[in-house]
Amino acid sequence: MTAACGSSGGASGGDSGTIHVLVYGDAANKVEKQLVETFNKTSPVKVVLDTVPGADYQQKLQTVINTPQAPDVFFNWGGGSIQPFVKADLLLPLDGFIAKEPGLKDNFLPSVFNSAVVDGKPYGVPMRGTQPVLLFHNKKVLADAGLTAPKTWDELVTDAKALKAKGITPIALGGGDKWPTLMWFEYLYDRVAGPGLFQQALNGDKAAWASEDSRKALATLKELIDAGAFGTNFDSVKFTDGGAPALVAKGKAAFELMGSWYYSTQQDANPDFAKSGLGYTGFPSVSGGKGDQADVVGNTNNFYSVLKKTKHPEAAAAFLKLMYSDEFVQAQLAIGNLPTTTNTVNFLDTAASPAYSKYQYDLVKAAPSFQLSWDQAYPPSAMTSIHTAVQQFFNGKTDADGFIKAMQALPTS
Amino acid sequence: MTAKQPGAGVTRPGFGWAAPAAVFFLLFAIVPLLLVAVLSFTSWNGINEPKFNGLDNWTGLLHDPVMIESIGTTLLLTALGVAAQTPVSILLGVWAAGRQRNRAVLSAIYFVPLLLSATAVSVVWRAVLDPNFGVPSQLTWLFGDGNLLGTRSGAIGVLAFVGVWQFTPLHALIYQGGARAIPQVLYQAAAIDGAGRVRQFIHITLPQLRNTVITSTVLMVVGGLTTFDTVLILTQGGPGTDTTVSAYYMYQKAFKGFDFGAGSAIALVLVVVATLISLAVVRFTGYDRMRSTTEGL
Repeated sequence: MTAACGSSGGASGGDSGTIHVLVYGDAANKVEKQLVETFNKTSPVKVVLDTVPGADYQQKLQTVINTPQAPDVFFNWGGGSIQPFVKADLLLPLDGFIAKEPGLKDNFLPSVFNSAVVDGKPYGVPMRGTQPVLLFHNKKVLADAGLTAPKTWDELVTDAKALKAKGITPIALGGGDKWPTLMWFEYLYDRVAGPGLFQQALNGDKAAWASEDSRKALATLKELIDAGAFGTNFDSVKFTDGGAPALVAKGKAAFELMGSWYYSTQQDANPDFAKSGLGYTGFPSVSGGKGDQADVVGNTNNFYSVLKKTKHPEAAAAFLKLMYSDEFVQAQLAIGNLPTTTNTVNFLDTAASPAYSKYQYDLVKAAPSFQLSWDQAYPPSAMTSIHTAVQQFFNGKTDADGFIKAMQALPTS
Repeated sequence: MTAKQPGAGVTRPGFGWAAPAAVFFLLFAIVPLLLVAVLSFTSWNGINEPKFNGLDNWTGLLHDPVMIESIGTTLLLTALGVAAQTPVSILLGVWAAGRQRNRAVLSAIYFVPLLLSATAVSVVWRAVLDPNFGVPSQLTWLFGDGNLLGTRSGAIGVLAFVGVWQFTPLHALIYQGGARAIPQVLYQAAAIDGAGRVRQFIHITLPQLRNTVITSTVLMVVGGLTTFDTVLILTQGGPGTDTTVSAYYMYQKAFKGFDFGAGSAIALVLVVVATLISLAVVRFTGYDRMRSTTEGL
């Protein structure tokens, strides 16, 4: 309401309106509130922070974005999540802001910044923390079996066989949630084919899915599944209700592939295990594969995008600049998030878990490619089909041909 | 019996009495239904203006294997629900209508599932059925590896079971009301004739509950066809598309895929199917002739 009143006067000099910033409502809002306060102290145009409970966020955004109630700046996941808005011509390309203030691009890690680039134009500035997917393990389980964390795919397969022989589920998987299953595909496609194949497919080249590399990635994964590495009941297990993490924490399973939030998940549910028993490595290399072993996949970060019809673009630009300020970085680190700015490295000592934060930061910084999760890179209409395809490939209901066909049928725009 | 029925001769209430309800029904049921019908002929992602695309959504659905599969799954779940709930709730309801000691306390306990939200119920069952830490891990002779929600038969079985567990109390309550309304003279006469409890149940209680059975069945059918919350929380339509019931498929299309046109078409299919089945139940059972069970008394 205040926005309508405040901005109705038009953008004359010394204008004092408000801009609305819509964010995903959760614990991280603490930092966002603090930044808004800082910003409002000096700016004539005031920022109003609107938080929407996480589960309802995407629906709410979709409903208001083309109405007079639309925010000026909003939280998103980059990639496919903003593509429909770009297509509907609702978003402001940020090249203008960046031309005036190159820091809006240069102060962020490039692999992260690039995942909010749509059709060659930047539409978002990273905020909050990065969430690369890592291979976690239970140190004690591996040590007891006389194994070490695998560096190559062949080692992982060997480890899996040895663990299975000991009656331990080699890899915990929350297949009931479906997206944890997808992570295995994302990494294998990267390691076998390199990041180019998925990018090609996303750009509409359906032949990419049927390529030699695509088939090889599927065959490699199939080999691990058939070896019983995931057990037999993974589709009845969820990550979100704590089922899969408990398997690892209690030593019933050795590995789990999961986003970097896994550390805090375990810290909440099994603090002692998180402290001393939880190990983490990057995803193994695949011999003969085209992908760089340093590539990562996951959620690169969240982003702020700006609506074209905002009456205060200057204020929005000024607000975005806070996303690489020292205050922002420190506040994010304090709540366990890992910002993707170039100055983050200066403050890593202040993180909730410095060693873990440093590991992640180095990983993301050195990554030649940071593949945004497939279900976020594709437009929202593709999500269900992707999840169904990966689940059916894993549980054997469909084969490589069926998977390829399902992926070729995805809407790319 | 020749005594005059109370209220006989009083004129029936006019339409005016129903007007407020009719207005609300028009505003919140009929108008949205018409809007959904219009939307089903458009392509709309919730952002741009809806664009008319003729029959695209409808031909799309016709050729969509998941839609066809979802109707089958929905009907299967509905049939399982009716088949399992009807006998249990009749027995429970008739029992609860009696005068036994402790009846009130026990029926109060039976009705507890009804008071819980479907969401809470689903979350609890999800935890109970966890293959590694829930009941299946303790009863491996019965559940094997516990992959209940990861197989088609297991997941459908769980969904049917949870639905039955939750809604049997409601139907038992309806049957309890029906059983209480049966005139005691019938039982007294039967007892004089030497009929035992079982014969009384088969020859008096069941026929007298005829209309209650229809009410309860229509409710079960409509409830079964619109099953949604348990699917959302327990299986999310999986594994694969094995438990993607039509109502959940509608939600997936409209609110996860932002394809409101296709979602609206599925919603309309559901409305039509539910209406047809309800009408068929009513027709088939002669409920439309509204024969009173106290006729001739």
